[in-house]
Amino acid sequence: MSAPLLFNPLRRMRTVLSLGILGGVAILAACATKDNKGISATSSDTTAPPGTTASTTTAGANMTGATAPTGPGWGIPAAADWTTQGRDYANTRYSPLATIDTTNAADLRIAWTFDDGVLHGQEGTPLVANNTMYIVTPFPDIAYALDLTKPGAPIKWVYRPNPAPIAIGKACCDVVNRGWQLADGKLIYNLLDGHTVAVDAATGKEVWRTQVYDVTQGVTMTMAPLIVKDKVLVGNSGGEMGVLGSLTALDLKTGRIVWQATSTGPDSLVKIGSDFKPFYKWMQGKDLGVTTWPAGAWKNGAGAVWGWITYDPDLNLIYAGTSNTGPWNADQRPGLNLWTSGVFARNPDSGMARWAFVFTPHNQWDYDGVNENILVNVPYKGQTRKVMVQFNRNGFAYMIDRATGEVLSAKPFGHENWASGIDSVTKMPIVVPEKETKVPGHWVRDICPADIGVKDEQPAAFSPQTGLFYVPVQNICMDYKGRKVSYIAGTPYWGADMTRHVGPGGNYGEFIAWNPVTGEKVWGIPEKFLVYSGVLVTGGDLAFYGTVDGWFRAVNARTGKVLWSQKLGSGIIGAPMTFIGPDGHQYVSVLAGVGGASMVTQAMPGFPARGGTLYTFELAPNIKSVDETPAAGMSTVSKKPGAKP
Amino acid sequence: MTIRRIFVRRFSHVTRLATGLSCAFTIALSISACSGAPEKIAAGGSGPVGLPPDSLMQLVALGDIAGGHPNTLTVQIKNPYEGSIAAADAGRQQFIDMNCAACHGYDGRGGMGPNLTDTYWRYGGSPASIYNSIYQGRPDGMPAWGRMIPRDDIWKLVTYIQSLGGSFPASLAESGRQGNLGDKDTTAGATLKGRQNDH
Repeated sequence: MSAPLLFNPLRRMRTVLSLGILGGVAILAACATKDNKGISATSSDTTAPPGTTASTTTAGANMTGATAPTGPGWGIPAAADWTTQGRDYANTRYSPLATIDTTNAADLRIAWTFDDGVLHGQEGTPLVANNTMYIVTPFPDIAYALDLTKPGAPIKWVYRPNPAPIAIGKACCDVVNRGWQLADGKLIYNLLDGHTVAVDAATGKEVWRTQVYDVTQGVTMTMAPLIVKDKVLVGNSGGEMGVLGSLTALDLKTGRIVWQATSTGPDSLVKIGSDFKPFYKWMQGKDLGVTTWPAGAWKNGAGAVWGWITYDPDLNLIYAGTSNTGPWNADQRPGLNLWTSGVFARNPDSGMARWAFVFTPHNQWDYDGVNENILVNVPYKGQTRKVMVQFNRNGFAYMIDRATGEVLSAKPFGHENWASGIDSVTKMPIVVPEKETKVPGHWVRDICPADIGVKDEQPAAFSPQTGLFYVPVQNICMDYKGRKVSYIAGTPYWGADMTRHVGPGGNYGEFIAWNPVTGEKVWGIPEKFLVYSGVLVTGGDLAFYGTVDGWFRAVNARTGKVLWSQKLGSGIIGAPMTFIGPDGHQYVSVLAGVGGASMVTQAMPGFPARGGTLYTFELAPNIKSVDETPAAGMSTVSKKPGAKP
Repeated sequence: MTIRRIFVRRFSHVTRLATGLSCAFTIALSISACSGAPEKIAAGGSGPVGLPPDSLMQLVALGDIAGGHPNTLTVQIKNPYEGSIAAADAGRQQFIDMNCAACHGYDGRGGMGPNLTDTYWRYGGSPASIYNSIYQGRPDGMPAWGRMIPRDDIWKLVTYIQSLGGSFPASLAESGRQGNLGDKDTTAGATLKGRQNDH
């Protein structure tokens, strides 16, 4: 059952739980809510302290009672902390902290900042445990631990992995790192050059380093690992480089590779065995990862696993999507091209697939399937169904039974015109013929969305209090021309020429609230620039997001009213988080530094310059002016006659 | 075209190339003697001649020269195909076939790799410097193509890149190295729509 949070022991408990998290994922799991009633059930005790949700007794009570979706709530760290990118195994990005709420969000001010010195896209979420904040820069993938117990959060340690510079030229879309994780006393993350590293979280000393992929073949790593039990799960990038996409499990203690499962190829490589039960007939059969391709084309068919992984401990299944199909020019690869542009449910112990679903078979538009799968439980036709929700690049929000792979609903959540709907039997998209891109050398005009989708990798959030998803949405279209392309290892295997333009209404971005039960947008906030940040939602009913032109906003999660906005130094493409500092106050942190795929709009007037700054906010009344003036002796020294300023 | 076919075609070129280096070291001493010749020779079908030899290209400094000496080689070594429309066309086809376009953009204005239509050249924008960047590769992303593309085809790629307008003719090489060119259009008649010095 849930761990009640008591008032005074909060800080002590936070420390204990933090140690538990750093001491092993098994302890972390023991702290988690297991009752499927939602995250806010952890704070149902009426003596709950400030900083947690005080009065919610059942998940979704403020919404519609039994008809509201709930978060399953596994893997939740102590309320004060944030130890994996999605905060919990279900990737809800929901924190129960509620000191900062709809009544005082307007008082948020910058408490301190930290410049990581790297001018590339900052796509990750800062982590906090043991009074320490952890961030990792884009290439060269430097890790910083910041000491939250001291004014201004100074550097506690720095770890410089020195990855191979070759990797810079193999990454399609900036040299980003999407996230890092804390487990077993280690900070674990991927390097752009195809290595995974584990660093002692207390000292910054490297514990192990494993080469998982060969960067000279065009394979890079940009995704955030997920640690499940004793395994570190990582995947590759290179959907535009003709890579063989795969998901790899490493041993948490040693970094040794335990299993690897490809996204295309024979069943033996894909790890499809007798347990594999895809729901739909067209995905049933032997070696479909070979037979749905022209001879041999699966070897360069991509299906890179560069997005987010989620985990259901009850079903013992992990969920990880596969990237676009390679090359983009679909004329060179007739067939359904399985298992690219889809998602696998796999057993984390063995890697064996349980089911798969392909969102965009024979993908002609670069609609990857790698977006985060958020796990919730929803009322559906009188039953509670365990589902995952994915806001896919192709513009449809899929709600899929996560035990069986059955698609319960698929509704457009933004502007798309390439498919008129989803077939009610096969769940394949019904493609609009004039938006097919097959004939190379022929421009196809105004396909919506563009390659980067109605939503890209930037993660949405789910609040068990409101029962709503909070989703960054893109309103971008393209003119597209297929190009004949040859595979040359280590160079792009791309095969497309394109231009992009804004969709109807002229706003590139929108931030929306989405009701998964009805499959409808509840409210939306249009933004002139792309909304390419991840999302945080809190027990204070605040949703936080950022824009590519650098506005960081707090929104009433129920009404969509913007309560506070702060302009940051560069565009925001990372995901915000919240934590309780050693002083007991709630803070909100986000990285600002434009880059990644948001650069496709860089020709817009007013597009910001690169940056690499971590911003931390707290309520203005709590911000103390800290006496950090130098000691008297030092001050005397600096005033010596002749001393230069 | 399949890769296999590209290989066959390329390497048959290389064989021919080996016998056709008549201008060889004359280039180092008197560039002008050879500079007008290639198009005529190429058109005549007798195989490429007049390419600056490898031994000379290896002497082209990547950075500035210690002691503050002027870098004369980048000024002296001209593209043997400079101004040849046929060579620029052939280079454009190479640019697509060898996946250069996928990194640098079908319009050369950048993508995964840098913009080739502006005057910012991290590794030098003179013909000799561009040739070397293609031949040797560069450590932050550019693969070395010297073993895959014959030298005369690399010079044709250089010709195409020069036609995009951002590179420097040899005569402006020193000026470009000093940073004097700014956003100047260094190629007569080039159209530099939307040129961005964004790296």
